[in-house]
Amino acid sequence: MSGAHESSWTVKVREKAVAALPPEKLLPDGQPTYVASWIYMFGVASIAALVVIITSGTILALKGPAWWHYTGIGHFFNSIHMWAVELFFFAMVVHLWGKYWMAAWRGGRTRVWITGAITFLVAVPTALTGYVSQQNFDAQWISTQAKDGLNSVGVGAFFNVTNFGQMYSYHVLLLPIAVVVLVSAHVLLVRRHGVVPPIELKARLVSASAGEAQAPPTPPPATVGAGS
Amino acid sequence: MSHPAMTAVMGAVFNLNHPAHVVHWHFIKLPLANVLVIASMLVVFAIALFVPFPGAARRAAARRGGGAP
Repeated sequence: MSGAHESSWTVKVREKAVAALPPEKLLPDGQPTYVASWIYMFGVASIAALVVIITSGTILALKGPAWWHYTGIGHFFNSIHMWAVELFFFAMVVHLWGKYWMAAWRGGRTRVWITGAITFLVAVPTALTGYVSQQNFDAQWISTQAKDGLNSVGVGAFFNVTNFGQMYSYHVLLLPIAVVVLVSAHVLLVRRHGVVPPIELKARLVSASAGEAQAPPTPPPATVGAGS
Repeated sequence: MSHPAMTAVMGAVFNLNHPAHVVHWHFIKLPLANVLVIASMLVVFAIALFVPFPGAARRAAARRGGGAP
């Protein structure tokens, strides 16, 4: 490789990216055996719900309010969108509980935890702007209730829930982009640092590596195939 | 549009023609629907902790026995 190429910003970015996340970490052959537990399934369940949300939301945006209010298929996609949001929050909260109680920020995973927490916080206004973008009495009620709360904390001047155009822009563009970027960063960080092990297993690994004679030798975490 | 027959059937199962039920205990005031969702999240959380994952026992046994997982 010539010196000119080595100074290229694309080369630097590529080398940094591959060093941070080599292909075998980005797309691993398998996961540790401790991942074979239902409590580890709620992160991917959240992502599955998010895919349904974005797909149904894209269809709703393409067809418009008259379609989702006055046609049967529009009602159907409106319901799909709303119930996918319910499932998204349901799975995300159970995921959060599970990760909180296993202290998932251990082992250099602070940024994994922080990106997950921020995703939850950004998802809340994403849902709120969706409720006030419905263009019905429900949206009017929610927006007039929410404006008092937002005004009381001083953000109503630049985040006006009674301004439909602003709320719709937030809901279909700005906040979904933020959620997708945060979720992508979260998943890439999980790939980089690995899924957090259960606390008991990690303690055993630490004691084994410390060479405690009384402890039976603990093998490194076995992996299972990605498709199993 | 909803089919009238379907509306009648669903209306018979879920009568929503009333003010929302609210659970009120001291300063805590929650719609019953939200309470049910929170309770179901707790139930699902407990199930996820205690119900064995399909194949997990077989993999653990294979690992203890030194065989391929």
